Amino acid sequence: MSDYLHIQNIHKDFSGLKVLTGVEFKVTEKERHAVIGPNGAGKTTLLNIISGKFKPSSGAILFKGKDISGKPPNVLNHYGLARSFQITNVFQELSVFYNVLAGVRSHHGLRYNFFKMPDHDRNICEKVESILEDVGLVDVKDQPASSLSYGQQRALEIAITLSTDPELILLDEPTAGMTREETNQAIQMIDKVTAGHTLIIIEHDMEVVFSLANIISVLHYGTILVSDTPEKIRNDQRVKDAYLGEG
Amino acid sequence: MKQKIMPLITIIALFLLGIFMPVILKQYHLNMLTEIIIFALFAVSYNLLLGYAGLLSFGHAMFFGLSAFVTAIAIIHIPGLSLWNVILIGVGAAVIVGFIIGGLLLRHKGSYFALLTLAFNALFYAIATKWHSVTGGDDGLSITRPGLDLGFTSIPLDSLTNFYYLTLVIMGAAIVFCWYFTHTAMGKTVLLMRENEERMKFLGFNTNISRLILFTFTGALAGLAGVFYTLHFQFVSISAISPDMTTAVLLMVFVGGTKKFWGPLLGVFVYIILQNYLSNITDRWPLVIGVIFVLMVLYVPGGLSDVIMNVWQRFFEKKDNNGGKSATAEEV
Amino acid sequence: MSDIPVFFLHGLAYAGLLFLVSAGLTLIFGMMNVLNFAHAAMYMLGAYLSYTIIMQLTGQFWMALILCPLILFVIGALIERFLLRRVHKYGHLGELLLTFGLAYIVTELVKWYWGNYPLAVNITGFLSGTITIFGFIYPIYRIFIFLCAVLVGGVMALILYKTRLGIILRASVNDSEMTNTLGVNVPLVLMGVFAFGTALSGFAGVIAGPLLSTFPGMAQEILIDAFVVIVVGGFGSLGGAIVASLLIGQLQSFGVLLIPKLSVALVYLLMAIVLVVKPSGLFGEEQ
Repeated sequence: MSDYLHIQNIHKDFSGLKVLTGVEFKVTEKERHAVIGPNGAGKTTLLNIISGKFKPSSGAILFKGKDISGKPPNVLNHYGLARSFQITNVFQELSVFYNVLAGVRSHHGLRYNFFKMPDHDRNICEKVESILEDVGLVDVKDQPASSLSYGQQRALEIAITLSTDPELILLDEPTAGMTREETNQAIQMIDKVTAGHTLIIIEHDMEVVFSLANIISVLHYGTILVSDTPEKIRNDQRVKDAYLGEG
Repeated sequence: MKQKIMPLITIIALFLLGIFMPVILKQYHLNMLTEIIIFALFAVSYNLLLGYAGLLSFGHAMFFGLSAFVTAIAIIHIPGLSLWNVILIGVGAAVIVGFIIGGLLLRHKGSYFALLTLAFNALFYAIATKWHSVTGGDDGLSITRPGLDLGFTSIPLDSLTNFYYLTLVIMGAAIVFCWYFTHTAMGKTVLLMRENEERMKFLGFNTNISRLILFTFTGALAGLAGVFYTLHFQFVSISAISPDMTTAVLLMVFVGGTKKFWGPLLGVFVYIILQNYLSNITDRWPLVIGVIFVLMVLYVPGGLSDVIMNVWQRFFEKKDNNGGKSATAEEV
Repeated sequence: MSDIPVFFLHGLAYAGLLFLVSAGLTLIFGMMNVLNFAHAAMYMLGAYLSYTIIMQLTGQFWMALILCPLILFVIGALIERFLLRRVHKYGHLGELLLTFGLAYIVTELVKWYWGNYPLAVNITGFLSGTITIFGFIYPIYRIFIFLCAVLVGGVMALILYKTRLGIILRASVNDSEMTNTLGVNVPLVLMGVFAFGTALSGFAGVIAGPLLSTFPGMAQEILIDAFVVIVVGGFGSLGGAIVASLLIGQLQSFGVLLIPKLSVALVYLLMAIVLVVKPSGLFGEEQ
């Protein structure tokens, strides 16, 4: 009876400023769920709460029936959650390969080992290669992350997110700052690499949302206005008002 | 391939060189070399914190000094204690203290970490100074080195040469392990945390626990160096645990450079020789070294190893094949 | 146990001195995000300068009280302008190492010039007298220290929260780029803050001289207590520094009375408890 993911009445205040005022929605397994909303609606705050960066002021997040709200990010990662960041958050000085290696070895339990060298482990290295293959970064795997183009950095961001083999993937505006052409490529790539996973994507770009999501929730002034299929959302008067009202 | 064999060759060459030193050097210089090797482990352990994890500790001497005192106290109060047990007790004390203090510091980095480690170091110094009946206070404690029991035979260690070899083997092995450690999962975790701690949390790493483990580990290594410090001088005084000892190791590491594994080794060598030379010609050598330190912070923050690497690259590696100099502690 | 009021007054006097030292430290930390390891060395320099001014040159305590902070103000400004600003690009580590190195150099220079032994600073006149308080004869100087701390704390709070200068200072901290574009010379403001903080440490040094006598270990001794004040009170919090100074002053004073051998441990015990219960300090903001 329990849902896969149930965001239950989440509130968040920042020293008096109410950013989220009772966010409530559900996500079923393998769903591709987009959260959209005008600027300042609290989208990134919501993602930060689901991913454990912030604690909610009140409310619960039920993941497979278990309340995970307020758990630290590293524990959530062990439950199978992973997130990307809107502002690229990679290991700039390290090569692309070692950027992805960190998460892969974490997933293989090689975190604090004093004796094993992770880059000598065949399974781990092959997994890194296959992720890099999927996101199209194999050719630049030995370059430092800081030398990549913007589009490649965004791809690396996704690769790192996938590196711990999560079942629930949270993407925070994965195409922010990209050109139209880069965005189209990114959509294809994300569509491919997240197949078979549950996806929650926070987005501003409607094209991305409508080509990736099968359920859309509209966040407006800290609450969910409506959750429905893309077709219904497209024709929903409240959604139009919310966006037009913002100008 | 060359990358993997070079360090091995270097290690073997250094050991071989070390083996012949008692033949070449006079007693006075062999004494100094033994001291250098002991401080080398102390400095390498310190650089795992400073260079690899980016944590500036002003309390590393509390481990060094604690183990140095525990060693002396154990030898004095427990007759017939074997050398192995002396080492075990000495290092064990550092591990326990590292774990407790590390637990208190768990959440702190940067300035907080620097300040708190200094405060705890000062606490240990105060205890050592005031607890005269046990530590000897200002007078210190004198001991005689126990012999080395190998099971089938035992080797007396009263001669400097024998003790030098023991130091070379044990300190050397510990330093090699530190080098190995920087390539292991935990070593990489520490390095990545310095780069981007937030992302590490989201990749499933418990960064607080990682810091605790590293703090305890480096404390244990400093403790091992402390044990040998007491065994070497057959004497320990409060200077071993004083904040000045932390300053000394910081200076050694910084002069050598924190970006390379071998930087601190170079730093210890230069520092101890400079200290011996300068203290012969001037009473103001701490002032000289202080000025050198500040000038380096201003103009050569990468230390001597950085200078050497730059010169090396200019003359021997004409083509720039890794897209500029790497700014990380060690090539990853 | 009938001396309790006397120990209480001792505690207040020490709290006053501690506050004078930690106020400058916490000001620089709060405004510039620099933990100044040289602070205690500057305090020691102030104390030694006051020895020269009082005992060798003028014989006037008041002269030292005015001149030493001025001299240290200049030194602080020079350090900020020509040294600290240069290492800013290396981040915290560079700043910590620089101030640490400066502490080392200043300490060595002081030992070189004034020697490696204690020097007594004697005060004369009104301040050297005693008054009767709670039925005890008590030295006026210790009460004077406490009053100085109250005065300095009051003036600092007034400047920070009630004047235009205070608004500029706090704005520079929150968003230096924005404040800069608004026509405020932020580098100059920061130089002023560092210089003022250093001057404050010199002031504390002058005050400490007659109370504790001047000796090379005095920097180390006060530095730890000042650090504990900052940890307990909360980084960069003036209110926290006041409360923590009062707390530690009393702890030190009664510690000596109750468990003389372990009095030093009491301070650490307090620090450890704060670290466990509220790692950001009593008045510190949670990160």
